[in-house]
Amino acid sequence: MMRAMYLANYFIAGCIAFSLLGWVASLHPYAFRAVLCLLAVIAIGWGLSWLLDFSLSKLLKISVADLQALLIGSFAMLLIGLGVFLCS
Amino acid sequence: MQLKLFVLSASSVVLWLAPLATLDKTLDIHKALQGVSLTAAFACAVTAGNIARKLSEQGEIEEIKTRAITADVVDEIATSAYISQVQRQQEAEQILTASDRTDEQEAELDEIKQSLELLIQKTSSDSGELVLKTLTTRQQEQIELILQCHAKGISGKNKILKEVWGVSAGSSQAYRNAKAEYEYLMPFTKEEEEGG
Repeated sequence: MMRAMYLANYFIAGCIAFSLLGWVASLHPYAFRAVLCLLAVIAIGWGLSWLLDFSLSKLLKISVADLQALLIGSFAMLLIGLGVFLCS
Repeated sequence: MQLKLFVLSASSVVLWLAPLATLDKTLDIHKALQGVSLTAAFACAVTAGNIARKLSEQGEIEEIKTRAITADVVDEIATSAYISQVQRQQEAEQILTASDRTDEQEAELDEIKQSLELLIQKTSSDSGELVLKTLTTRQQEQIELILQCHAKGISGKNKILKEVWGVSAGSSQAYRNAKAEYEYLMPFTKEEEEGG
């Protein structure tokens, strides 16, 4: 129960973080570009993480399944966070 | 702690969604309110996540403690069961040893009984021979005299007592002794007659 609660809270925190990025992007065109660059870096890192999942799992000392779950969860956070911000 | 966790979780969700959905976008402070509420929501969510993680770790520790206690109890029960089994086995071995001893003692007792019976039989047979020898030694003459009386045709008890022991019929002690001795010698006399 508590494990689910803390995972859900961190997931919500990630969603809110991406909403906050969207809010930052909406403040100014330069901020928008900067956020786009940040999102591009995040996307590259996300893709590389998928390619190097075994090496990264050894580096982070977590299992490959946990790393893949983390990557999928972060992608879901991005979708939900930016989606909520853009739809509001 | 859990109440704080639930309040922070709920407030983070509310602070995240409410300003985005319900705030009037025509206000000048709309963007500022959104930023503040999103920042506060992020802080609430992270704090709630930390609290939930601590509680989760404590729960895992408690679960490990419970497992350890259960394992200790099971181990203690198994140990006591093993000890009681060993004790029962030792008691059974002691009982078996005691029964073996009893059998040995009974065997010895039987041997002793058999020896005693043999000794008694031997003693009685020896005493019988001794009695015969005594009779032969002491009262041979009386038996021969009785046989001579029988040969002469004297068959009455009182007459034989008169001839052999020299006592007359009556209630005297000498007559009683002579009568008892005559009755005692009668079987030997009959044997002599049958044998002779």
